[in-house]
Amino acid sequence: MLRLKGGRLYDPARAIDGQVGDLYLEGGRIVAPPGPDGVIDGEIDVTGRVVMAGAIDLHTHIGGGKMNIARMLLPEDHRGDPVPARDLHGGGHLHGGCGHAAPATWTTGYRYAEMGYTACFEPAMLPANARHAHLEMGDIPMVDKGAYAMLGNDDFFLRLLSSGADQRLINDYVGWTLDATQAMAIKVVNPGGISAFKFNARNLDLDEAHPHYGVTPRQVIQALARAVHDLGVAHPLHVHASNLGIPGNADTTLATMAAAEGLPIHLTHIQFHSYGTEGARRFSSEAERIAAAINRMANVSADVGQILFGQTVTASGDTMGQHRNHRHASPDKWVVMDIECDAGCGVVPFRYRDKNFVNALQWAIGLELFLRVSDPWRLFLTTDHPNGAPFTSYPHLIRLLMDRDFRNGKLDEIHAEAAAHSQLRSLAREYSLYEIAIMTRAGPARSLGLADRGHLGPGAWADVVVYRDEADREAMFAKPEYVFKDGELIVRDGRVVKVVNGALHALKPEYDKAIEQPLREYFDRYMTVKMEHMKIGDDEICACGASKLIPHKCGRQA
Amino acid sequence: MNPSLSVSPIPCPFCGLLCDDLEVAVVAGHARITSAGCARAAGLFDVPGQGQARVRGLAVAPEVAIAAAAGLLAAARRPLIGGLGCDVAGQRAAIALAERVAGVLEHMHGAAQFRNTLAFQDGGWMTTTLSEVRNRADVILFAGTDASAFPRFRERLLTGASQFGPARRRILALLPPSEALPEELGGDLVIPCPREGLAELAGVLRARLAGRRADRDPVAGVPGERIEALLDALRGARYGVLVWNAAELDFPQADLTVAALVDLLKDLNRDTRWAGLPLGGNDGGTSAAQVCAWQTGYPLRTALTASGPRYDPIGFAAERLLARGEVDALLWISALDPARLPPAADCPVIVLGRADMELATAPEVFIPVAVPGVQRAGYLHRMDGIVALPLAAPLACDLPGVAPILTTITEALDHAAA
Ligand code: SF4
Ligand SMILES: [Zn+2]
Repeated sequence: MLRLKGGRLYDPARAIDGQVGDLYLEGGRIVAPPGPDGVIDGEIDVTGRVVMAGAIDLHTHIGGGKMNIARMLLPEDHRGDPVPARDLHGGGHLHGGCGHAAPATWTTGYRYAEMGYTACFEPAMLPANARHAHLEMGDIPMVDKGAYAMLGNDDFFLRLLSSGADQRLINDYVGWTLDATQAMAIKVVNPGGISAFKFNARNLDLDEAHPHYGVTPRQVIQALARAVHDLGVAHPLHVHASNLGIPGNADTTLATMAAAEGLPIHLTHIQFHSYGTEGARRFSSEAERIAAAINRMANVSADVGQILFGQTVTASGDTMGQHRNHRHASPDKWVVMDIECDAGCGVVPFRYRDKNFVNALQWAIGLELFLRVSDPWRLFLTTDHPNGAPFTSYPHLIRLLMDRDFRNGKLDEIHAEAAAHSQLRSLAREYSLYEIAIMTRAGPARSLGLADRGHLGPGAWADVVVYRDEADREAMFAKPEYVFKDGELIVRDGRVVKVVNGALHALKPEYDKAIEQPLREYFDRYMTVKMEHMKIGDDEICACGASKLIPHKCGRQA
Repeated sequence: MNPSLSVSPIPCPFCGLLCDDLEVAVVAGHARITSAGCARAAGLFDVPGQGQARVRGLAVAPEVAIAAAAGLLAAARRPLIGGLGCDVAGQRAAIALAERVAGVLEHMHGAAQFRNTLAFQDGGWMTTTLSEVRNRADVILFAGTDASAFPRFRERLLTGASQFGPARRRILALLPPSEALPEELGGDLVIPCPREGLAELAGVLRARLAGRRADRDPVAGVPGERIEALLDALRGARYGVLVWNAAELDFPQADLTVAALVDLLKDLNRDTRWAGLPLGGNDGGTSAAQVCAWQTGYPLRTALTASGPRYDPIGFAAERLLARGEVDALLWISALDPARLPPAADCPVIVLGRADMELATAPEVFIPVAVPGVQRAGYLHRMDGIVALPLAAPLACDLPGVAPILTTITEALDHAAA
């Protein structure tokens, strides 16, 4: 048994806010303090250190076809950022890699662990591309992984919906998809819009009829949110709303929240959906209105998708949006792909500039949202990696949230007009360590239904991070002193000291398998893949590269 | 053994289409396709279950051949890890080995692949996948190919039921004057145009789309009125698909031709929908590029040096490395097609090949390997890079797969280095 002695614990799941205490690790788990007879065979004195559970990123594009397209597209992203291979003293090998915005899989895993993250969730796994996504994620070491299956633009679903199919049939199809693709949640991207783009529509509003199926994005959201709820999936329907990036889209975003009609709904990268049309440039912040709505609606959660200045690449399932954005590509090259009557993907490299009015305001809008949403249990810290910025900028983002002077200093540097437009300077809030721990640990774990992650209580898996309490929060969060994964020390002073390969979290929903009959007929009749080959068996997870499959039950029964 | 064990349906690994509807029976120790498939598949599914490891042509035990391979690779300063005709597990193992020996990774179809990759890395593209073509395409433009290198292209993509119609598709083709479109494709508009002329023609089509007049007539041998007819057909598509096969664009700087086709596609999408379908992906080529990209950041033609992966899309072409003596050993992996032999090389050659591979000159080392999808399970990507399918092993045998052999070699080198 290992004792971490005397740390200041930040464990919001148990309402522990900086109290000094000891942690005991044994057999990969956190255990209750042993009695006087307990054998402690190791001890680390962490007096004065900040101790938190391993961080969980619930929205990061780390693996799957579009990230690999981004990697292939951007040798210039990798050239300046090579990572040599390295043999570890205690045995073990770190693979070489590279990349800033679209790093190699090995590099992704090492960098996440070196920041104290122990689990990452890929939010946009296309069922047609699911096996590839699992193969790719299998080569992301150090962290546990999971993925959200994308639905709502696939022709099978749209046929069901437009034919007025019973909700139970839709539930079975959603359940089947979770099961077949080994997913943790369901995401919908530009509901119906990716499909509409294949029919040459360039825009699809929340209440606009799909050009072929006649159904509206609102109906898509409602059917999927209902299915996710009825199946008892812990994480709400994960929604990338319509009209991403378009000035004035805040109205759509508010209407999308309302469309859930009280059912749980998660709005992702909400920064990109909080835009107004005021001012001479017809682009303004609607962060206040959006935040107020989130504060009011307990069924809504969101992640921010903060942008940070510099070079990155945007990768999204939203072909309609990405095709519209291609004229902003920097460098000037971009990819749009229609995929398997399933969905699509678009990859557009992008450089956010602090002296550009729009970019500067986007930056301020994201921070405003962070500061205006009062409940950190319902707001998650993301940059929508790599769309707003690479995940390696999280420590910088944390400092912006925790340090008002630092934030205002940055505000002085951005496009002056944008700074003047924003109310950011008037927001005095500084996040506490406790709130950061909610946003990056306890909150995501609760949202995903991970009962034994994201906290430090006895019985939890021992994913534990120890930070030095430094005034410079960026330095502090960039380089934890110790990171333990399932009880093993994997990072010391911000460097990997042991390689582990991480497990895969997947839901095991209950649904009526009779859905396979119409599905099999559909695949046989129209598709170039057999339904049987879409399904990823439990026995494939380790072959794909994960250390093991961690199955999760659904909470409610239909 | 059960004389007639039937497995169904299973994917075929023998071209980039990866048809996954084959039924295969094992009869008297031979794999026989009983439903679906094609002549190419029928031939390649029939593979002997035993093979002989050899060192300089002499039969040896497999361990001896593996040790000899490890010795040659340990002595090399920069080996070429080439061929890469295998499944995902084999490609993962090949990259791990390359990292141990500072090798360069290149697929046997690298020359064709990089015509696409260079164009892609220059401008990106707009593409589609096989089921989209089957369901949505109402106009197909074959540019410099008739897709006949992919035997079931027409059957799988053009004749099956489609969700959105139409019952009949318009087929357009730009083919060299000496080549005819196969009759069953039923070309509606077949325009003779040399492959070398495709880029120029695409450029003029773009100018016409933008409302400018062609400044010459004919263009690449195509008379003006045919260009106008083609333009009408392109504009009239609801969902058009432009098909090319980089392997058939075999002339200098053909990446510029691909780029010109991509630019035409992008322009067409201002008003209607078009997407490209780059044919390819044989011999595990798509998987090789995908795995290398996610593990190293680069899609092959990459050296795994001590300071990290180094990418040189021109300099690391296998042909060039071998011709210039810039590599001092060649590991050739070809587990799918016995006709894919190693190129001539002035350095020691190690071959991991199908048991029925016939080599004119004996390499330093030959190690027979199981064929993924016939003798071993595994994973392989289809040409579109989206769908990865689980390969079956209807004819399991005792031969090891590529991955365990390469892993054994890497471990031997780890021990030697420790
Ligand atoms: S067309 Fe290609 S994949 Fe299909 S059966 Fe023939 S060789 Fe196999
Ligand atoms: Zn995202």
